[in-house]
Amino acid sequence: MRAHIPRPDHPGPSWRGLVAVWLVAAAACAVLLGVVQAFRGPADDPDPAYERPGVLDLGMLPAPAPMVTARLPRPGRPAVVFFERPGRLAALCGALPGTELTTSAEVVVVTTGPTAGCGGVPVVADPLARIAKAYGMRIPIDGGPPVGYAVVDRSGLIRYRTLAPELSELYEVSVILGAL
Amino acid sequence: MTAQRSLPAGLRLCLWCVAAIVVEIGLYLSYRGHDARFHYVTHLFVGASAAMVIMALVAWRRRRPVAYPLVWPVLGHLVAMFPDFLFSAGIAHYWWMDVFLGHLSTHFVPGRNVTWAVVFLGALGAYLAVLARVDVN
Repeated sequence: MRAHIPRPDHPGPSWRGLVAVWLVAAAACAVLLGVVQAFRGPADDPDPAYERPGVLDLGMLPAPAPMVTARLPRPGRPAVVFFERPGRLAALCGALPGTELTTSAEVVVVTTGPTAGCGGVPVVADPLARIAKAYGMRIPIDGGPPVGYAVVDRSGLIRYRTLAPELSELYEVSVILGAL
Repeated sequence: MTAQRSLPAGLRLCLWCVAAIVVEIGLYLSYRGHDARFHYVTHLFVGASAAMVIMALVAWRRRRPVAYPLVWPVLGHLVAMFPDFLFSAGIAHYWWMDVFLGHLSTHFVPGRNVTWAVVFLGALGAYLAVLARVDVN
Protein backbone atom coordinates (compact mmCIF):
# COMPACT_ATOMS: atom_id res chain seq x y z
CA MET A 1 0.00 0.00 0.00
CA ARG A 2 1.32 3.39 -0.98
CA ALA A 3 1.91 5.68 1.96
CA HIS A 4 0.03 8.93 1.73
CA ILE A 5 2.21 12.04 1.57
CA PRO A 6 0.11 15.19 1.38
CA ARG A 7 1.33 17.77 -1.04
CA PRO A 8 2.09 21.09 0.66
CA ASP A 9 -0.24 23.02 -1.70
CA HIS A 10 -3.07 20.50 -1.35
CA PRO A 11 -2.96 19.12 2.16
CA GLY A 12 -5.19 16.14 2.87
CA PRO A 13 -7.93 16.27 5.45
CA SER A 14 -6.66 16.50 8.98
CA TRP A 15 -7.51 13.85 11.53
CA ARG A 16 -8.94 16.59 13.68
CA GLY A 17 -11.35 17.61 10.92
CA LEU A 18 -12.40 14.03 10.23
CA VAL A 19 -12.98 13.36 13.91
CA ALA A 20 -15.06 16.54 14.10
CA VAL A 21 -17.21 15.30 11.21
CA TRP A 22 -17.71 11.97 12.96
CA LEU A 23 -18.62 13.63 16.25
CA VAL A 24 -21.16 15.89 14.54
CA ALA A 25 -22.69 12.83 12.87
CA ALA A 26 -22.81 10.99 16.20
CA ALA A 27 -24.56 13.95 17.82
CA ALA A 28 -27.06 14.08 14.95
CA CYS A 29 -27.78 10.37 15.37
CA ALA A 30 -28.38 10.85 19.08
CA VAL A 31 -30.76 13.75 18.41
CA LEU A 32 -32.64 11.73 15.80
CA LEU A 33 -33.05 8.76 18.13
CA GLY A 34 -34.18 11.14 20.86
CA VAL A 35 -36.77 12.75 18.61
CA VAL A 36 -38.22 9.36 17.67
CA GLN A 37 -38.40 8.38 21.33
CA ALA A 38 -39.97 11.70 22.37
CA PHE A 39 -42.85 11.34 19.93
CA ARG A 40 -43.92 7.91 21.11
CA GLY A 41 -47.34 7.97 22.73
CA PRO A 42 -48.85 5.97 25.59
CA ALA A 43 -50.90 3.78 23.22
CA ASP A 44 -47.89 2.89 21.07
CA ASP A 45 -46.26 -0.52 21.07
CA PRO A 46 -43.33 -0.83 23.51
CA ASP A 47 -41.43 -2.39 20.61
CA PRO A 48 -42.01 -0.13 17.60
CA ALA A 49 -40.83 -2.84 15.23
CA TYR A 50 -44.15 -4.60 15.77
CA GLU A 51 -46.29 -1.50 15.24
CA ARG A 52 -47.77 -1.30 11.75
CA PRO A 53 -45.14 -3.52 10.08
CA GLY A 54 -47.16 -3.58 6.86
CA VAL A 55 -46.55 -7.28 6.16
CA LEU A 56 -48.86 -10.27 6.60
CA ASP A 57 -48.08 -13.33 8.72
CA LEU A 58 -45.55 -11.76 11.04
CA GLY A 59 -44.35 -13.76 14.02
CA MET A 60 -46.84 -16.43 15.13
CA LEU A 61 -49.35 -15.65 12.39
CA PRO A 62 -51.46 -16.94 10.76
CA ALA A 63 -53.57 -18.14 13.68
CA PRO A 64 -57.24 -19.05 14.04
CA ALA A 65 -59.42 -16.03 14.77
CA PRO A 66 -61.72 -16.32 17.81
CA MET A 67 -65.34 -15.33 17.34
CA VAL A 68 -66.07 -11.76 18.34
CA THR A 69 -69.83 -12.03 17.95
CA ALA A 70 -72.08 -14.96 17.18
CA ARG A 71 -71.55 -14.41 13.44
CA LEU A 72 -68.24 -12.54 13.15
CA PRO A 73 -65.83 -13.31 11.69
CA ARG A 74 -67.67 -15.50 9.22
CA PRO A 75 -66.21 -17.85 6.63
CA GLY A 76 -65.87 -16.65 3.08
CA ARG A 77 -65.45 -12.98 3.89
CA PRO A 78 -62.49 -11.08 5.36
CA ALA A 79 -62.97 -9.20 8.59
CA VAL A 80 -61.35 -6.32 10.40
CA VAL A 81 -61.58 -6.28 14.18
CA PHE A 82 -60.84 -2.86 15.63
CA PHE A 83 -59.83 -2.51 19.26
CA GLU A 84 -60.59 0.92 20.64
CA ARG A 85 -60.76 2.66 23.99
CA PRO A 86 -64.10 4.18 25.04
CA GLY A 87 -62.96 7.80 24.91
CA ARG A 88 -61.83 7.43 21.32
CA LEU A 89 -64.76 5.40 20.04
CA ALA A 90 -66.65 8.34 18.58
CA ALA A 91 -63.70 9.34 16.41
CA LEU A 92 -63.29 5.83 15.00
CA CYS A 93 -67.00 5.45 14.37
CA GLY A 94 -67.01 8.81 12.65
CA ALA A 95 -64.15 7.83 10.36
CA LEU A 96 -65.24 4.31 9.38
CA PRO A 97 -68.28 5.13 7.21
CA GLY A 98 -66.11 7.21 4.90
CA THR A 99 -63.85 4.31 4.03
CA GLU A 100 -64.24 1.34 1.72
CA LEU A 101 -63.58 -1.01 4.63
CA THR A 102 -67.22 -1.52 5.45
CA THR A 103 -67.95 -2.73 1.91
CA SER A 104 -64.88 -4.90 1.36
CA ALA A 105 -64.88 -6.67 4.73
CA GLU A 106 -66.88 -7.38 7.83
CA VAL A 107 -66.00 -4.75 10.38
CA VAL A 108 -66.50 -4.97 14.11
CA VAL A 109 -65.33 -2.68 16.89
CA VAL A 110 -64.33 -4.02 20.30
CA THR A 111 -64.15 -1.60 23.19
CA THR A 112 -63.54 -1.90 26.91
CA GLY A 113 -66.25 0.59 27.80
CA PRO A 114 -69.98 0.81 27.21
CA THR A 115 -71.08 0.29 23.65
CA ALA A 116 -72.78 2.92 21.54
CA GLY A 117 -73.98 3.30 17.99
CA CYS A 118 -71.25 3.18 15.39
CA GLY A 119 -72.95 3.99 12.10
CA GLY A 120 -74.06 0.44 11.44
CA VAL A 121 -70.81 -1.15 12.52
CA PRO A 122 -71.33 -3.64 15.37
CA VAL A 123 -69.70 -2.70 18.65
CA VAL A 124 -68.82 -5.30 21.25
CA ALA A 125 -68.13 -4.56 24.90
CA ASP A 126 -65.05 -6.31 26.26
CA PRO A 127 -64.41 -4.75 29.69
CA LEU A 128 -61.56 -7.11 30.58
CA ALA A 129 -59.96 -7.00 27.14
CA ARG A 130 -60.31 -10.76 26.80
CA ILE A 131 -61.03 -10.58 23.08
CA ALA A 132 -57.91 -8.47 22.54
CA LYS A 133 -55.90 -11.04 24.43
CA ALA A 134 -57.44 -13.89 22.45
CA TYR A 135 -56.40 -12.09 19.27
CA GLY A 136 -52.86 -11.76 20.58
CA MET A 137 -52.90 -7.97 20.57
CA ARG A 138 -49.81 -6.49 22.18
CA ILE A 139 -50.00 -4.38 25.34
CA PRO A 140 -49.35 -0.66 24.77
CA ILE A 141 -46.75 1.37 26.62
CA ASP A 142 -49.25 2.59 29.22
CA GLY A 143 -50.40 -0.95 30.00
CA GLY A 144 -54.00 -0.17 29.05
CA PRO A 145 -56.20 -1.96 26.55
CA PRO A 146 -54.82 -2.16 23.02
CA VAL A 147 -55.75 0.38 20.37
CA GLY A 148 -55.34 -1.20 16.98
CA TYR A 149 -56.80 -3.81 14.70
CA ALA A 150 -56.57 -7.35 13.46
CA VAL A 151 -57.27 -8.51 9.91
CA VAL A 152 -58.88 -11.92 9.38
CA ASP A 153 -58.90 -13.64 6.00
CA ARG A 154 -61.71 -15.60 4.32
CA SER A 155 -60.52 -18.80 5.98
CA GLY A 156 -60.93 -17.36 9.45
CA LEU A 157 -57.23 -16.90 10.10
CA ILE A 158 -55.67 -13.83 11.68
CA ARG A 159 -53.15 -12.62 9.11
CA TYR A 160 -52.25 -9.24 10.55
CA ARG A 161 -52.48 -7.51 13.91
CA THR A 162 -51.00 -4.28 15.15
CA LEU A 163 -51.40 -1.47 17.56
CA ALA A 164 -52.36 1.64 15.62
CA PRO A 165 -53.16 4.66 17.78
CA GLU A 166 -53.58 6.99 14.80
CA LEU A 167 -56.99 6.99 13.16
CA SER A 168 -55.52 8.66 10.12
CA GLU A 169 -53.99 5.33 9.14
CA LEU A 170 -57.26 3.63 8.11
CA TYR A 171 -55.85 3.67 4.57
CA GLU A 172 -53.30 1.12 5.72
CA VAL A 173 -56.09 -1.26 6.72
CA SER A 174 -57.36 -1.21 3.15
CA VAL A 175 -53.87 -1.93 1.82
CA ILE A 176 -53.53 -4.91 4.15
CA LEU A 177 -56.96 -6.19 3.13
CA GLY A 178 -55.86 -5.95 -0.47
CA ALA A 179 -52.90 -8.20 0.26
CA LEU A 180 -55.03 -11.08 1.56
CA MET B 1 -9.46 36.75 -7.93
CA THR B 2 -9.17 33.67 -5.79
CA ALA B 3 -12.36 34.52 -3.97
CA GLN B 4 -14.18 35.06 -7.29
CA ARG B 5 -13.01 31.69 -8.57
CA SER B 6 -13.97 29.87 -5.42
CA LEU B 7 -17.43 31.38 -5.24
CA PRO B 8 -19.07 29.30 -8.00
CA ALA B 9 -17.52 26.13 -6.62
CA GLY B 10 -18.78 27.06 -3.20
CA LEU B 11 -22.24 27.67 -4.59
CA ARG B 12 -22.24 24.30 -6.35
CA LEU B 13 -21.20 22.64 -3.13
CA CYS B 14 -23.94 24.50 -1.32
CA LEU B 15 -26.59 23.57 -3.86
CA TRP B 16 -26.13 19.81 -3.79
CA CYS B 17 -25.67 19.84 -0.02
CA VAL B 18 -28.88 21.78 0.41
CA ALA B 19 -30.66 19.55 -2.10
CA ALA B 20 -29.64 16.43 -0.18
CA ILE B 21 -30.71 17.92 3.13
CA VAL B 22 -34.02 19.16 1.73
CA VAL B 23 -34.78 15.71 0.36
CA GLU B 24 -34.04 14.16 3.75
CA ILE B 25 -36.25 16.68 5.53
CA GLY B 26 -39.01 15.93 3.05
CA LEU B 27 -38.68 12.21 3.67
CA TYR B 28 -38.75 12.75 7.43
CA LEU B 29 -41.90 14.84 7.16
CA SER B 30 -43.57 12.20 5.02
CA TYR B 31 -42.92 9.55 7.67
CA ARG B 32 -43.90 11.91 10.48
CA GLY B 33 -47.22 12.43 8.73
CA HIS B 34 -47.85 8.71 9.04
CA ASP B 35 -46.53 8.56 12.60
CA ALA B 36 -43.76 6.27 11.40
CA ARG B 37 -40.58 7.99 12.55
CA PHE B 38 -39.13 4.69 13.77
CA HIS B 39 -39.29 3.31 10.24
CA TYR B 40 -37.75 6.47 8.80
CA VAL B 41 -34.74 6.19 11.10
CA THR B 42 -34.18 2.50 10.37
CA HIS B 43 -34.13 3.02 6.62
CA LEU B 44 -32.01 6.14 6.92
CA PHE B 45 -29.32 4.41 8.98
CA VAL B 46 -29.35 1.25 6.87
CA GLY B 47 -29.28 3.10 3.55
CA ALA B 48 -26.62 5.53 4.71
CA SER B 49 -24.50 2.69 6.11
CA ALA B 50 -24.60 0.85 2.80
CA ALA B 51 -23.71 4.07 1.02
CA MET B 52 -20.77 4.69 3.36
CA VAL B 53 -19.34 1.24 2.71
CA ILE B 54 -19.60 1.77 -1.06
CA MET B 55 -18.15 5.27 -0.73
CA ALA B 56 -15.20 3.91 1.25
CA LEU B 57 -14.51 1.25 -1.38
CA VAL B 58 -14.79 3.72 -4.26
CA ALA B 59 -12.59 6.27 -2.49
CA TRP B 60 -10.02 3.64 -1.65
CA ARG B 61 -9.90 2.37 -5.23
CA ARG B 62 -9.77 5.82 -6.84
CA ARG B 63 -7.54 7.20 -4.12
CA ARG B 64 -9.66 10.30 -3.78
CA PRO B 65 -12.90 11.22 -2.00
CA VAL B 66 -16.17 10.51 -3.80
CA ALA B 67 -18.01 13.41 -5.36
CA TYR B 68 -21.19 14.71 -3.70
CA PRO B 69 -20.73 12.73 -0.47
CA LEU B 70 -24.07 13.83 0.98
CA VAL B 71 -26.00 12.57 -2.03
CA TRP B 72 -24.85 8.95 -1.65
CA PRO B 73 -26.51 8.40 1.76
CA VAL B 74 -29.72 9.95 0.46
CA LEU B 75 -29.71 7.55 -2.48
CA GLY B 76 -29.06 4.65 -0.11
CA HIS B 77 -31.98 5.81 2.00
CA LEU B 78 -34.27 5.96 -1.03
CA VAL B 79 -33.35 2.39 -1.95
CA ALA B 80 -33.95 1.15 1.60
CA MET B 81 -37.35 2.83 1.85
CA PHE B 82 -38.54 2.01 -1.67
CA PRO B 83 -41.21 -0.50 -0.48
CA ASP B 84 -42.79 2.35 1.48
CA PHE B 85 -43.35 4.19 -1.79
CA LEU B 86 -45.10 1.03 -3.01
CA PHE B 87 -47.16 0.92 0.18
CA SER B 88 -48.31 4.47 -0.44
CA ALA B 89 -49.40 3.27 -3.88
CA GLY B 90 -51.51 0.53 -2.30
CA ILE B 91 -49.05 -2.40 -2.37
CA ALA B 92 -48.50 -4.04 1.00
CA HIS B 93 -45.13 -5.28 2.15
CA TYR B 94 -43.92 -8.79 1.29
CA TRP B 95 -40.85 -10.54 2.64
CA TRP B 96 -39.15 -10.51 -0.75
CA MET B 97 -38.94 -6.75 -0.32
CA ASP B 98 -35.97 -7.42 1.93
CA VAL B 99 -33.99 -7.13 -1.31
CA PHE B 100 -34.25 -3.39 -0.69
CA LEU B 101 -31.50 -3.34 1.93
CA GLY B 102 -33.49 -5.54 4.29
CA HIS B 103 -36.52 -3.29 4.31
CA LEU B 104 -38.48 -5.54 6.70
CA SER B 105 -35.88 -7.60 8.55
CA THR B 106 -33.76 -4.61 9.56
CA HIS B 107 -36.52 -3.45 11.92
CA PHE B 108 -36.11 -6.57 14.03
CA VAL B 109 -32.38 -6.63 14.78
CA PRO B 110 -31.56 -6.66 18.51
CA GLY B 111 -31.17 -3.12 19.76
CA ARG B 112 -33.39 -1.84 16.95
CA ASN B 113 -32.39 1.63 15.72
CA VAL B 114 -29.61 2.07 18.27
CA THR B 115 -27.85 -0.86 16.64
CA TRP B 116 -28.22 0.72 13.21
CA ALA B 117 -26.94 4.04 14.53
CA VAL B 118 -23.80 2.25 15.73
CA VAL B 119 -23.46 0.48 12.38
CA PHE B 120 -23.82 3.78 10.55
CA LEU B 121 -21.24 5.52 12.72
CA GLY B 122 -18.87 2.61 12.15
CA ALA B 123 -19.36 2.81 8.39
CA LEU B 124 -18.89 6.57 8.48
CA GLY B 125 -15.72 6.09 10.48
CA ALA B 126 -14.45 3.64 7.88
CA TYR B 127 -15.07 6.15 5.10
CA LEU B 128 -13.37 8.94 7.03
CA ALA B 129 -10.42 6.67 7.74
CA VAL B 130 -10.09 6.04 4.00
CA LEU B 131 -10.22 9.80 3.38
CA ALA B 132 -7.33 10.24 5.77
CA ARG B 133 -5.28 7.92 3.53
CA VAL B 134 -6.02 9.39 0.11
CA ASP B 135 -5.32 12.63 -1.67
CA VAL B 136 -7.98 15.30 -1.60
CA ASN B 137 -7.02 16.63 -5.04
